[in-house]
Amino acid sequence: MRFSRVTLQGFRNLPLAEVALVGKRTFLCGANAQGKTNFLEALGYVTALRSFRGAESRALLGLGVTQAGLGYTVEHETFGESRLTITLTPQDRVVEWEHGKVTRLADFIGKFPTVAFSSQDNQFLRGAPSLRRRWLDLTLAAMDGAYLTALQRYTRAVAERNMLLKQGGRDAGALEAFEHELAAHAVTLVARRTVGIAELGELFRAAHARLVPEGEQAGLVYAPDTAVTAPAEFAALLVNCRTRDTLLKTTERGPHRDDLELVLNGRPAKQFASEGQQRCLVIALRLAQAAYFRAKGGVTPVLLSDDVLGELDPGRREKFWASLEGEPQVIATGTSLPADAAGWQVLTVEAGGVQ
Amino acid sequence: MTPALEALQKALKQLPGIGYRSAERIALHLLVEKPGRLPELVAALESAARSVRRCTVCGNLAEEEHCAVCADERRRTGQVCVVEYVPDLAAIERSGAYRGRYHVLHGKLSPIRGVAPEDLNLAALLRRIESGETTEVILALSNDVEGEATCHYLTERLPKAGVKVTRIGFGLPSGGGVLYADAVTLRSALEARRDYS
Ligand SMILES: [Zn+2]
Repeated sequence: MRFSRVTLQGFRNLPLAEVALVGKRTFLCGANAQGKTNFLEALGYVTALRSFRGAESRALLGLGVTQAGLGYTVEHETFGESRLTITLTPQDRVVEWEHGKVTRLADFIGKFPTVAFSSQDNQFLRGAPSLRRRWLDLTLAAMDGAYLTALQRYTRAVAERNMLLKQGGRDAGALEAFEHELAAHAVTLVARRTVGIAELGELFRAAHARLVPEGEQAGLVYAPDTAVTAPAEFAALLVNCRTRDTLLKTTERGPHRDDLELVLNGRPAKQFASEGQQRCLVIALRLAQAAYFRAKGGVTPVLLSDDVLGELDPGRREKFWASLEGEPQVIATGTSLPADAAGWQVLTVEAGGVQ
Repeated sequence: MTPALEALQKALKQLPGIGYRSAERIALHLLVEKPGRLPELVAALESAARSVRRCTVCGNLAEEEHCAVCADERRRTGQVCVVEYVPDLAAIERSGAYRGRYHVLHGKLSPIRGVAPEDLNLAALLRRIESGETTEVILALSNDVEGEATCHYLTERLPKAGVKVTRIGFGLPSGGGVLYADAVTLRSALEARRDYS
């Protein structure tokens, strides 16, 4: 897909930006803290109604603003030219797409795929497991409605069980009722994550191989908290955990504690990869995400690069461009123009204005 | 604004679906625009509060000991359709697709919302089923996490033999209940009910 026109109003520090995007490559040039990343964030928001910086929706409203509007015109492989608007208020977000309001996230998530390359991605290796789970959940849910449903229901069932635990965990009948529901979704999540990580791992290995010298091999390893395959088995585990969970007032075991490990040449990358190698790994992971969206959804995602390509040395940058599949639209930011500025639409971002 | 008017508005605002503006409009309507309607409304409220109660068999609203459904001898006694709320029952009645009896739980399990098993009209249902007559229990609870957990809770407590337990088919809006479904959808949901275990 391709963004052809973007209108932002009251989004972070951008009071009003109306931008026509020309061609396949747009470069947003400007000093730091002028609004470049905010602009990319607004584009990325359309994929799953989430900020790639992990910000809460209410943080996206400009200072003193009670309503922000995001309007997109998109050329899309499946839907042709599409108009979308998202209205954010402190309490709510409303998506309108052609025929009217979108009422269920499941009907919308992943239809307009983007992949953001951010300098924050460096935390991906060393940061908390929740970062990696969030990436995995978003990637799988965007392409699989059943995964999203299982995730939402699992999360709700865990919250209900946790409330019972906080109340002292005395009602074994009610615990059993919610554990039964929780276990069914847990097994679905583990099964779909197992398959999804294998597929993503293959794409990750291939994307990485195109970026680095021969002899380095990257991989993804699923580290489930509990590798159960039958709901009854997981439900039994939960029963065994009740006493301990009641003391801790929370559900300790389950897919909400899963992790995902990046490996380089068979060893954990967070311990054994150099800084340059780590950078290539996270970029390859984003490329794998883009390839996954393309393979599953049949739509080439828009790549949003927030000051990341500038960090690569010229040799790797060249390999990066050569490795892109499906001629994606690329929207990149930086403090100075790229060396190969020809072929780019250049926009200047200054004090919340884009032109 | 007077203290009495303020009190009325405040009381109205606590009703479901009524915000500040509507509360103000209703209060002024009753006191200023159409004061003649007031006695009628007061009488209706008092009479309803006095005479409407729960059916002792199924929990549906009734003015006698038994509700209209339980009192109707033409209804099939073998089937009991379990619903969360009275409006769900009314929706199924409107669809005309069901001729059995009902049981209204008046909610579903939700620790987060503070609803425990003892808050539901469950014990009466279990007594009713143990006493015989019922051959099929149709679970028409919503298909969200809480609805499913309630179905499971209930099923675990039903006799293991002699009663068939079914769950209505869910072409119904996901996460929603029967209330929001139209008659055609409800009819096919009832027809497509499956064995539940
Ligand atoms: Zn009755």
